[in-house]
Amino acid sequence: MIIIGEKINGAIPSVAKAIAERNADFIRNLAKIQTEAGVNFIDVCASVDDDIELETMKWLIDLVQEVTEIPIAVDSPNVYTCIESMNYCNKPGLFNSVSLEGDKIEAAFKAIADTPWECVALLNSDKGIPKTAKDRLDVFSDLMAKVQEYKINPSRMHIDPLIEMLCTSEEGISMVTEVIREIKTQYPTIHVTGAVSNISFNLPVRKMVNMGFTVLAMNAGMDSAILDPTNRDLMGIIFATEALLGDDEYCMEYIGAYRDGIFGNIK
Amino acid sequence: MTKIEEVKAKVEAGKSKLVPGLVLEALDAGNNPQDILDAMIESMGVVGEKFSSGEIFVPEMLIAAKAMSKGVDVLKPHLAGDGSSKLGTCVIGTVAGDLHDIGKNLVSLMIESAGFDMVDLGVDVPADTFVQAIKDNDNVKIVACSGLLTSTMPAMKEAVAAIKASGLTGFKVIVGGAPVTPEYAAEIGADGFAPDAGTAAVEAKELATA
Repeated sequence: MIIIGEKINGAIPSVAKAIAERNADFIRNLAKIQTEAGVNFIDVCASVDDDIELETMKWLIDLVQEVTEIPIAVDSPNVYTCIESMNYCNKPGLFNSVSLEGDKIEAAFKAIADTPWECVALLNSDKGIPKTAKDRLDVFSDLMAKVQEYKINPSRMHIDPLIEMLCTSEEGISMVTEVIREIKTQYPTIHVTGAVSNISFNLPVRKMVNMGFTVLAMNAGMDSAILDPTNRDLMGIIFATEALLGDDEYCMEYIGAYRDGIFGNIK
Repeated sequence: MTKIEEVKAKVEAGKSKLVPGLVLEALDAGNNPQDILDAMIESMGVVGEKFSSGEIFVPEMLIAAKAMSKGVDVLKPHLAGDGSSKLGTCVIGTVAGDLHDIGKNLVSLMIESAGFDMVDLGVDVPADTFVQAIKDNDNVKIVACSGLLTSTMPAMKEAVAAIKASGLTGFKVIVGGAPVTPEYAAEIGADGFAPDAGTAAVEAKELATA
């Protein structure tokens, strides 16, 4: 499972405050605790006004790179911010994100095509979020045409099928798992990712819903996720699920993560 | 780190892809094949102890045993004599009426890793099959009877009694399995008892060399 640590995001009030106060230690600590939790990427999203977004991204990325070797996921709704932020990174990371909305994908793919950067792509379009599995898969087909046009290996792509809140869904997550399965059937090496905690929006004890969702989505083929890696129960269930799915020979990853203190009682 | 130390470390860590190459390198470096084998046996002793104390889990013990067996495969042609173990042969099986083999297989792996040749009779083994196996095999030093069910404990008693009454000698009988206690083992006339696979290997070795 590829874990993208979500904790450095200006949309989180405590992080917004740290950014406003330029509290460097707060940010460094978020990078440190996510590194200790074993993440594959540390997401950095400024969520500030446009005129200071780039300088904020640079400030954040510099701080993260001071304390960790983990690659960065440059995260902004503005593709050009992501492109510019790639230059602040001392190693290839994850471009988060592109979609077929407007012509942004052209600029993004031009920037990453000849690099080892990986890329998150959302399955929304100019018309918003497609309502049915078929419509979402149509967007996926259009997206993959672009991926091929820029000769990007599918294994560098993380497709986000868009995880929506469970509390207003009438059919649970069957539509999104159908999309995940079909994507993995068409491109076995592609990654399927998602913002796990979206699922539990406006429900009590969100952790329960997040964990149940993670198990079912992994069963459908999700192999990457943006989440809070310091949530020890969620991390534990991810390792357990990998073992249960037969992707962890002799449970060695599960045992190793336990030994590393990723989950289980704090010793 | 010497080559032998590397072999030991990788066996302990269960690196079955690396161990055969390291064993060959250790041979190339001029080490005595028997010393390499002893080093691996020693590693498995450490693994067994760690398992007994709850420090490591079953799969970690499994992959260590697997790594050692890969190492022994490449070492065997270089060992002196007929390649048979100096500790002798161990006959093992799960007693009649009991089909559990996971625990028995673990014990078998660990006893083999301690330096025995194994004769595994499988599960649901009648008492006279144990006796016949002792007759049929050379240099039997240990007979190990396993049972997981409370309901098959009488079958274990019967097996031990039949082995002891057979008149055959030169070996010791050890028993184990979830419901078996040291007291029960003594009561039915077994020579040894072990609560887990790591201890079973230690016990087998001690009894065979006593």
